[in-house]
Amino acid sequence: MVPKSRFFFLLMYGLILLSACGPEMPGEVAVAYEKLPAKIDFNFHVRPILSDRCFQCHGPDDKARKADLRLDLEEGIFDQLQDKELFPVIPGDPDKSELIRRVLNEDLEIMMPTPESNLSLSETEKAILVKWVEQGAEWKSHWAFDVPVKVELPKVEEVTWPKNEIDYFVLKRLESLKLQPSPEAKKETLIRRLSFDLTGLPPTLEEVAYFVNNTSDNAYEELVDRLLATPAYAERWAWEWLDVSRYSDTNGFQGDFTRDAWPWRDWVINAFRENMPYDQFTIKQLAGDLLPDATTDDVLATAFNRNHTYNTEGGTIPEETRVSNVFDRTETTGTVWLGLTLNCVRCHDHKFDDIAQKEYYQLFHYFNQTSEEGGGWGGKQKPLLTLGSQDTVDMINRLETYIISLKDEVEKLEYDKFPRDLGLPASESKVAKNTKGLDPRILLKEAKLRGTGEFGQLLKYFRPTEDVYGRTIKKLHNVMLEYDRISAASIQVMTMDELEVPRPTHVLERGTYNKPLLEEVINPGVPKILPPLEAENNNRLALARWLVSEDQPLTSRVTVNRYWQSFFGNGLVKTVEDFGVQGSLPTHPQLLDWLARDFQENGWDLRHLFKKIVMSATYRQSSKVSEELLQIDPENALLARATRMRLPSWMLRDQALAISGLLVDSLGGEPVMPYQPDGVWSEATFGKIKYKQDRGDALYRKTLYTFWRRIVGPTFLFDNASRQVCTVKSSNTNTPLHALTTLNDVTYMEAARVIGERMLTHTSNDEERIKYGFRLATSRAPDSSELEILQNQLKQLRQLYRSSPEEALKVTSIGDFRKNSTLELADHASYSVLGSLLLNLDETITRQ
Amino acid sequence: MNKRELHPFEEYQAGMTRRSFFGKMAQGIGITALGSMLNPYLLSGAGVDIQNGGPNMGFRLPHFTPRAKRVIYLFQNGAPSHVDLFDYKPMLRKWHGRQIPDELTAGKRFSTMTGEQAERPVIGEISNFSQHGQSGAWVSDFMPETAKVADELCFIKSMYTESVNHAPAITFFLTGSEQPGRPSMGSWLTYGLGSVAKDLPDFVAMTSRDKEASCGQIFYDYYWGSGFLPTKFQGVKFRGGGDPVLYLKNPDGISRKIRRQILDDMRALNEMNYNDFGDPEIKTRIAQYEMAYKMQISVPELTDFSDEPQYILDMYGPDVNRKGSFAYNCLMARRLAERDVRFVQCMHAGWDQHTNLNHQLKIQCQDTDQPSAALIKDLKQRGMLEDTLVIWGGEFGRTPFLQGNIKDYNNWGRDHHPYVFTLWMAGAGVKAGLTYGASDEFGFNPVENKVHVHDFQATIMHLLGIDHERFTFRHQGRRYRLTDVHGNVVNSVLS
Repeated sequence: MVPKSRFFFLLMYGLILLSACGPEMPGEVAVAYEKLPAKIDFNFHVRPILSDRCFQCHGPDDKARKADLRLDLEEGIFDQLQDKELFPVIPGDPDKSELIRRVLNEDLEIMMPTPESNLSLSETEKAILVKWVEQGAEWKSHWAFDVPVKVELPKVEEVTWPKNEIDYFVLKRLESLKLQPSPEAKKETLIRRLSFDLTGLPPTLEEVAYFVNNTSDNAYEELVDRLLATPAYAERWAWEWLDVSRYSDTNGFQGDFTRDAWPWRDWVINAFRENMPYDQFTIKQLAGDLLPDATTDDVLATAFNRNHTYNTEGGTIPEETRVSNVFDRTETTGTVWLGLTLNCVRCHDHKFDDIAQKEYYQLFHYFNQTSEEGGGWGGKQKPLLTLGSQDTVDMINRLETYIISLKDEVEKLEYDKFPRDLGLPASESKVAKNTKGLDPRILLKEAKLRGTGEFGQLLKYFRPTEDVYGRTIKKLHNVMLEYDRISAASIQVMTMDELEVPRPTHVLERGTYNKPLLEEVINPGVPKILPPLEAENNNRLALARWLVSEDQPLTSRVTVNRYWQSFFGNGLVKTVEDFGVQGSLPTHPQLLDWLARDFQENGWDLRHLFKKIVMSATYRQSSKVSEELLQIDPENALLARATRMRLPSWMLRDQALAISGLLVDSLGGEPVMPYQPDGVWSEATFGKIKYKQDRGDALYRKTLYTFWRRIVGPTFLFDNASRQVCTVKSSNTNTPLHALTTLNDVTYMEAARVIGERMLTHTSNDEERIKYGFRLATSRAPDSSELEILQNQLKQLRQLYRSSPEEALKVTSIGDFRKNSTLELADHASYSVLGSLLLNLDETITRQ
Repeated sequence: MNKRELHPFEEYQAGMTRRSFFGKMAQGIGITALGSMLNPYLLSGAGVDIQNGGPNMGFRLPHFTPRAKRVIYLFQNGAPSHVDLFDYKPMLRKWHGRQIPDELTAGKRFSTMTGEQAERPVIGEISNFSQHGQSGAWVSDFMPETAKVADELCFIKSMYTESVNHAPAITFFLTGSEQPGRPSMGSWLTYGLGSVAKDLPDFVAMTSRDKEASCGQIFYDYYWGSGFLPTKFQGVKFRGGGDPVLYLKNPDGISRKIRRQILDDMRALNEMNYNDFGDPEIKTRIAQYEMAYKMQISVPELTDFSDEPQYILDMYGPDVNRKGSFAYNCLMARRLAERDVRFVQCMHAGWDQHTNLNHQLKIQCQDTDQPSAALIKDLKQRGMLEDTLVIWGGEFGRTPFLQGNIKDYNNWGRDHHPYVFTLWMAGAGVKAGLTYGASDEFGFNPVENKVHVHDFQATIMHLLGIDHERFTFRHQGRRYRLTDVHGNVVNSVLS
């Protein structure tokens, strides 16, 4: 706090001595100044202001920079301004610092930020800058680019509360704010919370009873260990990774062709099952194909980098598609491992973080070396990994080679068949132009980029009986048909490979695929703000290893933070996708670093990390919140309680299946097509693709196995990642459309009907039946007032359905699942509706 | 309250665990002070933009008095041919069959379909133009009904854009960026201006396509997506078949009466849980279930045209009762506008005449001309054109030169042409009967008052009372806006 007298002195000083040449603090700034903390910190107070309001024009972007002034670098802030007798900042001397003069000035010609920028500084922000300079203008590097340090645990007053290391950091902060942590949640709440968080499923009643009655000291830990070891654990975390990886069963875009991506999804499930260390998980997915003695599984892992969309629309340019796929790989890597927003750097230097456009293309280089060509048609775009018997693999390889040689031959023959000027496509020849009805787009493409259907078209105009050209394309067409037949019967996953002769990489002007800046060849490399990558063979494998190397400061932090979000709703750094200077600062920086280091020290063991989190007292708190705490901390940044979160929509469906007993929990395999309203695919594809709903068990498999059509995702999901691009931030919204889904979708209503059957057959006593259903839905017994409401509801429903048996028949016939027809119709209908009510309770759809 | 505790981040920076307080912490610290210690700005993540007043920004808009309360965007996917429909160029018939001057095409990008085509003969317009109304606007005889309302319309004939392919160009028009992932215009507006419709979504999207299904462009849901804005601002797609809104109908055997009594009990139970947990999301949940219940009535009412007199139905044309037709969607748009829905996006595909110009363009016009004009007349007669902005146009124009072989008349086409094209606007705040901007004598490049897509977007925002430069959302560390970092309001088209 600034003593009043000193403040007054400062003000007077400014007014008297500097009114002619230097700044004076306007009254409001002076008032704000008085409220500032004693010590101004560069990273905490100052850089966020500079970055947000100044970097746009005075930051890392070369092209956008004005007055040759860089405020993102230490030198830029302190060095003399070019051609001027001025310094942006003179430590200790705000009056002579040009930056201060500009931000305090109200003359439209002088003030900063300029009026045109639509940016402005608040009085407090101006005061912060003044005080920082006054205090000596200490500069610091951006925290996230420094190596994390595992500090000693802070000392806390309430020493009995912490259960593990996490709690010391959390409690320390609460104590400093004179706040208390919340009491531990009830056991029923805890087991439900843990079950959803670790396995994506609600606990069974037996599991609840066992845990509630288990009074041993390690009951909780025993439960955690049991859940971590279930196959459901693997499936639950696979979902999270599928959102991150923009996994889909189709290409996206027009045509939206189906691809064989699911073997990779199963690879992910297995990786979680065997608790593959996250560094291995990283290396295999980014560069499994380049590992010495790579196994089929290692190559399969690299499908991660082919999960992007793929555009084969007519009129698109193959190279444009290819480049946009490389962009996607580069940016996905940036988001997932580095927590850096690289997408803007493809066009220009980063506006905020010190990453040059050229450095983007250094990263791009690693992903620019596959044999993918960008053209083609269909959902299987090379490079492909054929899974199946050795015979099939051999056959596919032989046919592929044969096709390539025949296409070469065709290409040569077309020079004679379609005479034209050098460099022009065959479609520009007189012969082609005089061929009425022939789609000119076919001959526009080089022979090697044409598909089977296109050769089929050509055959209609150039007959095999005519000449050697006709005979050759006939032969080629036959071989391609054969290939397609075998290919269709085989599983072929799009994976990564590495060209023998590297493809040269250039900076692309404004990210435009056909505007390479040819004067410079770009070598692979990592951004200079991070530790250097030193490897003999600087390829994708080297990059992957560097990402998980010990002193690369981002991967471990970014990873633990992303997972933390699943347990607390937000990351310790709220912007899980951005650890750059514009990202949020961590709420508990030392905790983040501690966890990051601990994660590394324990061999990047995710189960260890999750266990650490859920064993903490912080995690075990109740999520009940007082109005006062809610006002202080609406987003639960302080962690003085557990976070109450609506379950993701995929978990809601799995829950409905689980508590009705419908769930078929087999692992892996081809995607399935559960219920979906008629006409959705058809409308989205102009009738070209129709949904073929499955029957039987396939209807009741976990949502993880639902076929994902990229252009229209599963209709019963809401606010899930759309799987167009990598998504690391979870979204949780609350709209009437969600209510309509869980009330009316046959998936939910069928489950409700079967829950009704379960309640009815459980016992003959209505009260017990209701209690049973309530416990199935919420893992706890209803209290008397809750019970009363439900009993009254049952009474009313019975009356209504007794008087209208046709309606009762309809309700009890919803869904494919075999109906228990021994039940009295009105009873069955009433309990079915009660089941739907229970499935829609806020408590049921929320993890408390 | 000016005493302040060290934020752990500062401590972290200091590299030490200081326990000292700066000043003595007052007893029973006030909530406000404690709240400000958390420094919501510094700790806030994506979204909350202090420059615009933080999370309450919506209440700070509009920036000034809006002219339009709502927008109906009749988006013509595929790109209508400006030279055959609105932009009359006598030169084209004079040059018919002759190679278009090289200086026009040099260095220009076209789609792969004509990108490497060596011959690019000009072809005359395949329709006949005449002037209409007091404004004397040129409209082709393929659009007889639009011609009749020409005095209500403001034609912009100098539009230009950047992408040469459909999906990126449409995305650019609707979101300001060619890459999917940014919020669409309707999301921006509903996010910024808040909710007005009582029991309907504020942003509705509908799609239709030409009867022949000649064109393959599909509708991506990011055309009405909310991008990085909360998903509750995304357009609600009303479907052309089945329930207009997915899962709208109660399951068979569950009557409205039962639904009501179930919701009443759910509310009671949820409120008990609220009293226990204090989470405000529970209250929101209760409200959203109520809204769902209201929509179950309001949407069927909305889609039930039986209250429309025959002469109104006739105005929109013979397809008006066919769900999923453009005519049906136009009438729906009026009905939505009457119910104060903020943004209605009707997208009609079928304008992509690469190889079928000579027969298909006319059919396409028949699908769309009458309903579009009817919507204008209908809004006008209800006094709603005063505060409803109607927009009609595609993502780019079409080449004045031929795609294909000039001898192969049945397969004539025109390729994508981003360099100049025409769209029209009408209603709230827009000058009626104006033709703004002009292209050169070939309809190839703009020569007067060029209007870029971002300018057009800035103008729409302006009509809704928003300064497009001051309406931003922070995401991934930067401030985004609909117009990216560009755009100037086209003041000359404002009334």
